[in-house]
Amino acid sequence: MKPVLGIAAYVLREAASRKFILAFLVGITLVLAVVALSLRIEVIDGALAATRLFGDVIPTSIRAVDVALRPVFKAAAFIVFYGGIVFGIVACSDFAPGLLSPGRIEHLLALPLRRWHLLAGTFLGVMTLALGGTVYGAGGLTLIFGVKTGYWTLGPLIAGVLACVGFAAVYAVMLTTATFVRSAALCAAAGGLFLVGGIIAGFRQQLSRFFEAGLGRNAFEAVTLLLPRLSALAMAAADLAASTPPQIRSLGLLLVGVFVFGLGALVVGFWRFEGKDY
Amino acid sequence: MSHSVVYSATVTNRPPAIEVTGLCKTYFRAFRRQGSDALRGVDLTVPEGSAFGLIGPNGAGKTTFIKSILGIVQPTAGTVRVLGGSPEDPRIRARIGYLPERLHLPGSWTATAFLATVARLKGLQPEPAAHLKLLERVGLAEAAGRKIGGYSKGMRQRLGLATALLGAPALLILDEPTDGIDPMGRVEVRRILQEEVQRGTTLFLNSHLLAETERVCDRVAILAQGRVVREGRLEELARGAARWQARFAPGADAGALEAAGLQRAETEGLFRIDADGPATLNAALDKARATGALLVELKREGADLEAVLVGTVGVAA
Repeated sequence: MKPVLGIAAYVLREAASRKFILAFLVGITLVLAVVALSLRIEVIDGALAATRLFGDVIPTSIRAVDVALRPVFKAAAFIVFYGGIVFGIVACSDFAPGLLSPGRIEHLLALPLRRWHLLAGTFLGVMTLALGGTVYGAGGLTLIFGVKTGYWTLGPLIAGVLACVGFAAVYAVMLTTATFVRSAALCAAAGGLFLVGGIIAGFRQQLSRFFEAGLGRNAFEAVTLLLPRLSALAMAAADLAASTPPQIRSLGLLLVGVFVFGLGALVVGFWRFEGKDY
Repeated sequence: MSHSVVYSATVTNRPPAIEVTGLCKTYFRAFRRQGSDALRGVDLTVPEGSAFGLIGPNGAGKTTFIKSILGIVQPTAGTVRVLGGSPEDPRIRARIGYLPERLHLPGSWTATAFLATVARLKGLQPEPAAHLKLLERVGLAEAAGRKIGGYSKGMRQRLGLATALLGAPALLILDEPTDGIDPMGRVEVRRILQEEVQRGTTLFLNSHLLAETERVCDRVAILAQGRVVREGRLEELARGAARWQARFAPGADAGALEAAGLQRAETEGLFRIDADGPATLNAALDKARATGALLVELKREGADLEAVLVGTVGVAA
């Protein structure tokens, strides 16, 4: 396990030196600071009495705080889920190709490491980065609204963790792509493609009606069956963030599906990497 | 060359540091039936404690050979044993220091941070004082706290060498270690490598700078077209045919000397003698002196490594 942690630390150190990742963290901090300083919420007996943003009153009816905050947390969950994955795809696309680049991979492979340590460590490093960013953003939001309203919920944090699970499946595809081609652009493209595929897969039943019955519909259903249902996971995350019952039938089954897909993608990557010459 | 004798004395009766038998490597590309052969049955033994140089023309398979003995490239056929074990074994690789031909270093890191990270990955305890000493040894003490991105090519190469030296490895495999280093720096690097060999480290050096190889290594293998075409002690390779140069005092009868079996050289008074042993050489000299010629100088005609390489590769081609 130590070599895997060593590679993860290597990746995190590399990430810390990237200006756009630091800029992203600064961006999250600024957004949280702006929300914290510009939003004023008055709560009386557990009900939201008045809200002021930049000093202007936001016209709302008096409602229980948890009900009033539902759309806010829901929107935040969608932003964290899709925004986080898209940023992750762009920001982390060159970690694996960079590590596998000529002059670096030879050096790493000559160190006393197993090949799988390199991939596992890269995956762990990127997921630590994603989880850290998510917990920082979602946790900050929870903290701000908790302090301002006295309503404390773990919903946004759980939603953030689900976003990380979705990103893990997408990054597994990106990492595997890197073992075939050492190109950051192609890794990002593969990640983007699977994100779109995952969104479509979440609506597969509704979308399949647009295909004529027969080969086309069967092919669509077969392909989307294999993809992780990321849009369904996003909706479940939003429901959890808003503390409303998830609309999906089984969150557990959905997570198992995403996990199996991610694991399958990683297995292909590990197999490819084990037999590859550099 | 003068160091070679010292090194070779330490080489005897030790198990080999690298033992390669019938090593073949064929690279296959997608959608192509036929692969390209990089190595075609290489047999090579590198004695422990020796300073071994691998030379050959571009495309001879030198880098593929180095990658094969490190497990970076998986051989198509043949066996590789390094330090008595498989190069795939992390315990074996922990005893190897490697400097790749174009080491990519993270530009935003400092040299000390990079050394500490590599030390951790090597399973060593990061020791800042020892790392600083290592950087001092390769001439980077003053730049230790600077970001690697601001380093010159030579400085990066020095840092690569420091990284390879981490943990006092038993086997040093260096691919073009002096590439980009200025002449003074090369002298320093050569001194470090010689110190390492004297310490008992086996050095495996691939350098296109033949003078460098000649000065550092005591054994050399010439790789051409994926095969080892010549291998041995440097003096043996450089000796070539048993040929001597004899210079005679002015007034020597050139015709008589030629009749005595000596070959006239380009310069006046200079003759060549082919002799495979002291007895033959002295017999030829006796004949020459019998003509009245006075010998003023006698030396063995040796070839430098460049001549050996050109001669060998030319023959192999």
